[in-house]
Amino acid sequence: MLLEGTMFSDLLFRLRALLHRKTVETELDDELRFHFDQQMEKLAQSGITPEEARRRARLIFGGDDQIKEECRQARGLHLLETGVQDLRYAARMLYRNPGFTLVAVFTLALGIGINVAFFTAYKAFILRPLDARDPGQMVDLGMVLHTGDSRAFFSYPDYEAYRDRLRSFSGLIAAGGDNLVLADAGGNILDRSSTDGSLSGLLGFSISSNKERAATTFVSENYFSVLGVAPVRGRLFGNASELAASPQVLISENYLERRFGGDPALLGRAIRLNGVAFTIIGITPRDFGGTGFDVPDFWIPFGLAPLVESDSLYLTHRDQYSCRLFGRLAPGTRMDQAQAEMNVLAGHLRTLHDPQSDWSKPSTAFLWPGSPLPLPINRLSGRFRYAVLLIMGAVGTVLIIACANVASLQLARAMSRKNELSMRLSLGASRRRLVRQLLTESALLGMLAGLVALAFSWILTKGLAYMAAQAIPAQYGTLIVHVTPDLGILAYVFAVSLAAGILFGLVPAFESSRSALPSALKANVGTSPVRSRRLHDIFIAAQVAVALALLIAAGMLLHSSIHALEVDRGYNTKNIIVLQVPNDPKYTPGRKAAVVSEFRARLASLPGVAAITSGEVPFQAGRRAAVGLNGEVPSPQSKRALIDYSYVEPNYFEVLGIPLLFGRDFHAQAGLNETAVIVSESAAQQLWPGQNPIGRSLRLGTDGLFHGKGELTPDGPLYQVIGVTGDTHGASFDDSDAKHVYLRLPEDRLQDHTILIRTQSDAKQIMPEVFPLISSLDPDLEVNAVTLEDIVHVTASVFLPSFAATIASPVGLIGLLLAAMGIYGTVSYIVVLRTREVGVRMALGAQKRSILGLMLRQSMRPVLAGLFAGILLATGASYLLRGALHGLHTVDPVSFGGVSLMFIAVSLLAAYVPSRRAMRVDPVVALRYE
Amino acid sequence: MPQLPLDLPQGTLDLLILRILALGPQHGWAISERIHQVSSRVLEVRQGSLYPALHRLERAGWIKARWGASENNRRAKYYELTKSGRKQLAADQSEWKRLTAAVAQILAMS
Repeated sequence: MLLEGTMFSDLLFRLRALLHRKTVETELDDELRFHFDQQMEKLAQSGITPEEARRRARLIFGGDDQIKEECRQARGLHLLETGVQDLRYAARMLYRNPGFTLVAVFTLALGIGINVAFFTAYKAFILRPLDARDPGQMVDLGMVLHTGDSRAFFSYPDYEAYRDRLRSFSGLIAAGGDNLVLADAGGNILDRSSTDGSLSGLLGFSISSNKERAATTFVSENYFSVLGVAPVRGRLFGNASELAASPQVLISENYLERRFGGDPALLGRAIRLNGVAFTIIGITPRDFGGTGFDVPDFWIPFGLAPLVESDSLYLTHRDQYSCRLFGRLAPGTRMDQAQAEMNVLAGHLRTLHDPQSDWSKPSTAFLWPGSPLPLPINRLSGRFRYAVLLIMGAVGTVLIIACANVASLQLARAMSRKNELSMRLSLGASRRRLVRQLLTESALLGMLAGLVALAFSWILTKGLAYMAAQAIPAQYGTLIVHVTPDLGILAYVFAVSLAAGILFGLVPAFESSRSALPSALKANVGTSPVRSRRLHDIFIAAQVAVALALLIAAGMLLHSSIHALEVDRGYNTKNIIVLQVPNDPKYTPGRKAAVVSEFRARLASLPGVAAITSGEVPFQAGRRAAVGLNGEVPSPQSKRALIDYSYVEPNYFEVLGIPLLFGRDFHAQAGLNETAVIVSESAAQQLWPGQNPIGRSLRLGTDGLFHGKGELTPDGPLYQVIGVTGDTHGASFDDSDAKHVYLRLPEDRLQDHTILIRTQSDAKQIMPEVFPLISSLDPDLEVNAVTLEDIVHVTASVFLPSFAATIASPVGLIGLLLAAMGIYGTVSYIVVLRTREVGVRMALGAQKRSILGLMLRQSMRPVLAGLFAGILLATGASYLLRGALHGLHTVDPVSFGGVSLMFIAVSLLAAYVPSRRAMRVDPVVALRYE
Repeated sequence: MPQLPLDLPQGTLDLLILRILALGPQHGWAISERIHQVSSRVLEVRQGSLYPALHRLERAGWIKARWGASENNRRAKYYELTKSGRKQLAADQSEWKRLTAAVAQILAMS
C-alpha cells in the first residue's frame, strides 16, 4: 500500500531500477550470495563437512531464480520492463513489414498533419498573444454597451483618462491604424496592378490608385516602452515638444526591406505622409507586430495624428472611436481587480459622452488576456465560431478516416498474424498482455506518424504563411503568422498521434486476441472469418461515407460560387471601370466639382472609353429609406417597407445595361421635373401589387437611417414614378437588395458620386491609362480604380463559397485518397487470405471472369453502402450550408451525382487491381499451399 | 522433541523487519538470525519471503539500503530505517497491540 504522496519517489525508484538494470541485478546476486554463504558457514560450524553444509544450505535456500523474480516484482521492475519488451518487439514487427508500416505511417501522417496544420493556424490567429515582453501580463480593454454589443475601440480622450487615472496598470497604451499616402520616398515604385487572378486579388486587394499608400499604425507615445521593445536601429519617439517641432516616424524592418531593399541610408531621411514631412528616426524589429496581426509600414505617435487626418477633432472628440487600448497589469494586480477599477472610471466618463451616443448609457468594462483579436473568442460572432467548428469538424473527420483505414489494415494483418498470436497465447501469454502488445504496436505507429506529420505540417504552414505574406501588397503592411511549432503544438501532435494509435489499435487488438484462441493453431486458416470481414466492411463504408459527404459539400460550394458569378445580375459586369475620388480636405466643394467635371471630360476623350456616367455600383448603394405611400410622410415608426435608393445620372441605365421595362427614363425630355423617380420591378410589385406603378407617388424618409454628412437625402418631396426598370441582383443571398428606387442626380452633385466607365474592350487594359490623366490634371488628387468584375468577385455570395470550397476540396480529396488506399489494402489482404478458396473454385471449373466478378462484388458492397450513407450525410450538410449557397437546390444533382460517380470509379479501380491477382491464382499451387 | 518453527502470519513480517531495524542497520542474514533468536527459535523467516519483503519496503521508502562491510569483512547490503519507516513502525506497532489485545480478550472468554 503506497501513499499518494510517495507516488513520485516510487516512480524514481522504479526508473532507477529500469535504467540501472545491470547494477540492480548484480546487487541482487551479491546480496543473495552473501546470505547463502552465511548460511553455509553457520551449518559448517555445527560440525558437518563443507559438502554437506553446501547441500543443506542449498536445500534451505530454495529456488534462486524464483526469489530473484519475486524481488524484481517487489521492486516494481516488472511492468516497466515488459513495456520496454513490448516496445522492442513492436519496433521489430514494424521493421519487418516495411510495406505495411510505410502505408500506415503515411496515411496517419496525412490525417494528423492536416489536424496539426489547422491547429497551428488556429493558434496563430485565435490564441495569439500580443507581441510583447512578458505577454502574460498584457490585457485588452473593452466595453459591453447597454445594447449588449461589445466594443474594443475607444475615443482618444477616454484613453487619456484611463491612462492617467487607472492604478491597476503599470502602463496603458493605445493603437489605431490608417492607410496614408506616401510621397518623396524615392526607391522603386510599386507595381500598381499585379492582381490579375492572383491570391492578392482573391483576398480583395484589387483596388488600385494613382498614389502610393503605406499602412500606418498610430500608437501612444509609451507604446514601445510598455510593450518592452527597442528599435533595432535609431531611437524611439522624443518628448511632446520635440515631436511638435519636428514630426517623427518609425519604419518597420519588414517594409524597409520590401520597399527600399533594406537601404540603411533611409534612417534620418524625410518622407511625406499625406503631404506632411516626417523624419524617419528608428527601425522596429523584423516581424514585430505589436498589438496587431500585421507589421505596419510606419508607426506614428497619436499626438501627430491631427497632422495627417482630415478630421481635426481626431484627438479631442469623445465620440470618435479610433483606438484600441491595451494595458500591462501592475505587479500583483489581478485582472478582475483592474476590471473593477476600470468599471468605476467608465461610469464617470459616461457622463461626458454625447447624450445621443450609446456610450452615455450604462455600460460595463471588461478585460481579456492580451490578444490582437478585437474581441475575446466567446464574444466573436456566432458565424465565425460556426466556421471554425466546421473546419475543425472536417479535419477531425479526415483523421477518423485515416484511423479507420489503418485499423482495417491492422485487422487484415492481424488475420495473417493469427499463427503468431495463438502461439504466444498457448505459450502462456495472458490475453491482457497480448492486447497490450498490440496496442503498443499501434501507439508506436501513431508516434512515428506524428513525427512525419510534424515535418509535413511544418512545411505546409510555412509555405502557406509565406504565400499569405507575399500576397498582400506592401502598402497594406506585412501579415505575420507565427507557425513555428512550439511546445503547445508538439503536445497537441503527441496527444493526437497517441490517441489515433489507440483509436485504431483498440478494435483490431481485441478482435485478434479474441479470435486467436489456441484452437486457431490447428484450425483452417484458408478462409476469412465472417465476423472480422464485417468489421472491415464497416470501416470501408464509414470512410467512403465521410469522404463522400466532404467532397459533395466542397463540390456544392464550388458550384455555388461559379453559379453566383454567372448568374444574370440584371446589369453588365464586364468592361466597367469604377472610379472613386475620395474627399480631400484641401478641396472646397466648388473646386472639387470643377476638377471632377474636367476629369470626366478628359476621360470621355480617352480612346477605348464608350460611355461615362455617375451613380453607384448597383449593390453598393448602401442607403435605405422608409417609404410612405398615398402622400403620407414616412416616419421612423412605420418602417414597414425599407427600400434601397440611389442617385443616378440619366444615362446610368444604358451604361450598366439595366433594361427599362415600362415608362420613360430620366432624359426623355429636357426640363424634367426634379421629383421624377424610376423604380425596379420588385419595388413596384411590393409597393403597388398588381397595379400600374406609372404615375403613382411616394415619399422617402431617411430619418434614423445611415447616411453621410452633407450627403444628398431624398426626404421631403412627393415623388412621381415615371418608369420601371429590371431588377438588379447583388450581394445578398435572398435578393432583398433587388427593390430599388432611382432618383435623378442633379448636375451640381456629380462630384460626390462614383464614376462608372464602360469600355469598348477589356477594362483592365484601359485602367492604367486613367492614372496619368489624373496626374496631368492635379498631381495631388488621388483616385481609386477597380473593375466591376473584381468587386463582384469579392462579394459575399461569390467569395464565401469559393473560399470555403478552397478549404473543403483538398480535405475531401485527401479523404477520397485515403478511402481508396483503404479499399486497395483491404481487398489485397482478402485476396491473399482467400487464395485457397479461389484455388478450389478454379479447380472445380470456375471461370477467371467469374472469380473477378466475385471479388469485385464483395468489395463493392461496403462501398455502395458507404455511398448511400454519405449521400444522406451530405444532404444534411447541404441543409446546414443552405445560407451560404447561392441559387442551388438543397440536393445539387451535379455535385451529388458527379462526386458519387467519381467515388464508384475510384473504388472500382482500387478493388480491381488486387482482384486481378486472384484471377492469376494457380489452383495447383493454391491447394498445395496447405 | 523440539517444536517446529512457526510460519509467520501474513503481513507481520514487515512489522518484524522494521522493529529489528529500529535497533540499528542490519543486513538480510542478520535480520533473519535476529528474528530467529529473539523469538526463542519459534519464528523462522525464509529467504524467499525476506528478500522480496526488504525490496518492497525499500521501494515504499520505509527503509534504505547501502553497502558496507560485514563482521567477517565481506561486502554486505545493510538496511536502515528511514524517517517515514519509523513513523510506519509506530503506527503498525500500536495497531498490532490493539489487534492482539482484542484477540486475547476473545480467547479469554469463559
